[in-house]
Amino acid sequence: MARSPQRQSSREEYDYTEEYGSHSDQQSLRLRRVPSRVSNQNPPQFDWSSPHEEEDEEGSSGPPRDLRATPLPMALKRAMRQIQQMRVPVVSSRESWKRKKAKSLRKLKESGRGFLSFFSLWSKTLQKIGGNFGGGVQSYFLFLRFLVVLNFVSFLLIAGFVLIPSIVFRSVGSKLINSTGPEACMEYDPNPQGLVVFYNYFLDLLSGTGFMEYSYLFYGYYNNTMVEDVNFSYNIPLAYLLTAVFYFIFCLICIIVRMGTAARVVVATGVSTVGNYSMIAFTSWDYGCLGDRATKLKQKNIHYGLQVDLEEESMKKRAATLTLLQKIVLYSLRVSMCVLSLGLIIAAFFGIFKATEFSQKNSLQGGILGLFFEYLPSIVITAGNFVVPLLCDQIALIERYAPSNTVIVALLRSVFLRLVSLGVLLFTLWGQITCDGAENTGDCKLCQYNHLIYQCWETRVGQEMYKLTLFDFLINIAVLILVEFPRRMVVDNWSNKLTQWVGRQEFVVSANVLGLVYGQTVVWTGALFCPLLPLINTLKFILLFYFKKITLFYNCRPALKTFRSTTSTFFFLVVLLFGWGLGTVVIIYSVAEIRPSMGCGPFSVFPSMWSIVPMSFQKLSITSQEFLFFIGSQSFSIPLFALSCVVMCYFVALASVYGKSVALLRAQLKLEGRDKQFLVKQIEMLSQSQHILN
Amino acid sequence: MGNKQTIFTAQQLDAYQDCTYFTRKEILRLFDRYRDLAPQLVPLDYTCQPDVKLPYELIGSMPELKDNPFRQRIAEVFSEDGEGNMTLEDFLDMFSVLSEMAPRDLKAYYAFKIYDFNNDDFLCKSDLEKTLNKLTRNELTEDEVRMVCEKVIDEADLDNDGRLSLEDFQHMIVRAPDFLSTFHIRI
Repeated sequence: MARSPQRQSSREEYDYTEEYGSHSDQQSLRLRRVPSRVSNQNPPQFDWSSPHEEEDEEGSSGPPRDLRATPLPMALKRAMRQIQQMRVPVVSSRESWKRKKAKSLRKLKESGRGFLSFFSLWSKTLQKIGGNFGGGVQSYFLFLRFLVVLNFVSFLLIAGFVLIPSIVFRSVGSKLINSTGPEACMEYDPNPQGLVVFYNYFLDLLSGTGFMEYSYLFYGYYNNTMVEDVNFSYNIPLAYLLTAVFYFIFCLICIIVRMGTAARVVVATGVSTVGNYSMIAFTSWDYGCLGDRATKLKQKNIHYGLQVDLEEESMKKRAATLTLLQKIVLYSLRVSMCVLSLGLIIAAFFGIFKATEFSQKNSLQGGILGLFFEYLPSIVITAGNFVVPLLCDQIALIERYAPSNTVIVALLRSVFLRLVSLGVLLFTLWGQITCDGAENTGDCKLCQYNHLIYQCWETRVGQEMYKLTLFDFLINIAVLILVEFPRRMVVDNWSNKLTQWVGRQEFVVSANVLGLVYGQTVVWTGALFCPLLPLINTLKFILLFYFKKITLFYNCRPALKTFRSTTSTFFFLVVLLFGWGLGTVVIIYSVAEIRPSMGCGPFSVFPSMWSIVPMSFQKLSITSQEFLFFIGSQSFSIPLFALSCVVMCYFVALASVYGKSVALLRAQLKLEGRDKQFLVKQIEMLSQSQHILN
Repeated sequence: MGNKQTIFTAQQLDAYQDCTYFTRKEILRLFDRYRDLAPQLVPLDYTCQPDVKLPYELIGSMPELKDNPFRQRIAEVFSEDGEGNMTLEDFLDMFSVLSEMAPRDLKAYYAFKIYDFNNDDFLCKSDLEKTLNKLTRNELTEDEVRMVCEKVIDEADLDNDGRLSLEDFQHMIVRAPDFLSTFHIRI
């Protein structure tokens, strides 16, 4: 078969298009040509006269796949298919068996894919959202779905290794070590005394105290037991600790895998803004966009996007022509605004600190007031997270950054605020539990933690996280019902200038994503102390999905300023990693440094939660111990470290080589283009001189 | 289920399955959609391969296409006569290319043809202007349209002839991660 070199075959016409089209008018004839590169294989340059040996070696995956991917009319494809089928008897029986197997495998894969897509949650809803509101909003819901699945699988993990063994072995098994220690430290009485007013049950449900405290929900209920049998032993404290550690590692792996797929796309296409206009012109129209309203909105979107880009260009040009004085003024303005926003954030932190202290001191009050005091830190955090970003947005406007930078700067500030405000809350708790780090003074002297306020401090921390989760959820619902629905009703039914200016609610993707990251971070920090928190979070996120979907379709109009959906997925996952880091810091510190409560929980007799691991380690066989020692020793870890450095360097070098070769090829293409023009001019000159001669 | 349908012969269905990205069930569903556009024109028996063409107005009134500003070009590109009147095979072809399993090169090829309004196999300035006007509903000013067209040609034209060839277009599409998901109609 004549395979002409790639460059010259860039325009090839099949002669039978003209036969088939039966239209003499060239304009309306469908000129279907094979492009120079159809998938990674060479196109089947069809020559009726010669046999196709080359296609035999591709096996049966060759012909059918090539057919579908060729840009030809259906009738031509069917004709080609018939020809191929007629030629099939030429192959050996082994070849045909291979082809049949590959074909049935392909069909099986496709039906498997169809089956699996049946299981993917909410795919039709997501598609509808994407069609009506765009990729940015859809990426929020995709992120939410990822978190739901992550939390559910984590819950299955925890249930399998901690919850179910605890339930099964509750009455069986012996204590690991007999507890010794001061009597006062081992007091733990979670059940209320005497008659309880009926609404206390409701208050207890909301704050995790009372009947909820001494249950599988919190750390304090799990026992320090070990079950030994003939061939079976289960060490519950060890299982509890290792499950928590593995849960974190598992979440990290999931996030990184997901980031990998998003990052691959980002790196491959380059993070430059070059190619922006052509991207907008040719790839921004969503062909799946349904409905007149959505179409008009998409068109407005594109219009706005183009205007913003043009404006950024002119701003850059203007910025380059600023005089020195103007530059100084602008930069000093930016610095002062930065300081102001930092000041706002620090004020919020101080407020949270004071509120947490106050709440911990007055936590023993009963009734509604007590509930209010218990929820005070959550209230202050939520209020701060609401007010400060609004102010930061206004500040960002004054700073006069380019529009895309403004969005990023505002987002970074909000991320900082949300996550570190949670950190302040945790820091305050830590200060109270460990008497500000001085564990051998004052109230902490007896048990190395403040046993007067916290008889079981892990349960208290778990309760704080439980309250944060619940409160976050309730606030979301309340905002939906009390703000968004009325706003829409007012805007729709009462038209005057004010309502038109305010307009319908915009679904702001970034703020919502930060809310999700915050909720997930709370779960990570609390998972060690409240093992059922991932389950509660799964339910919370599922309900949130439906509520957000309802508000999206009824109350919202799509935002004009949209996020690029591919880079935004990557950004969401990076922010989630920050939250994961915070959770990891908390768990490492609690496991290693703070003495577990002596009155409750599976680690009551140990000096630290981590010490169960060396203890169980001693019980392993000699060979396993030696093997683990070897892995931990320098003679293993240093060569491993060196090897991973070498592998990393290799990949970095590979990536840079690819980038360089892409740039080289691009330059070569430009050069070829100029060569072509030069030659064309030469030909013109020559033909003109010929003409003159004649 | 089974093989109880009498619209197509088994060989026809196999052929359609091999030539498009659809399964047997989807092909039958698409046939139903095609027939719903004009039940009196489309026979229920395709075993004898009748020559039935639906006019563009019917195709353009489908809910998936009726709000798309490029629907006329889409129909023209995929139709046999180039005017937008589509047979069943054109219909299947069109939705196969626009389905989520079609590879990027195939989609890029057809996207290029759709945006090539004057069918000269190049995206010249007038093609770009028409595309931009359809994208923004004619709301950009003349100056803005001109500036954007210049920028597009600057960015994507690699062989420096002032217009985009198919290779330039495909080269640009490779760097667009969203293209596969936006050039997609679910039916």
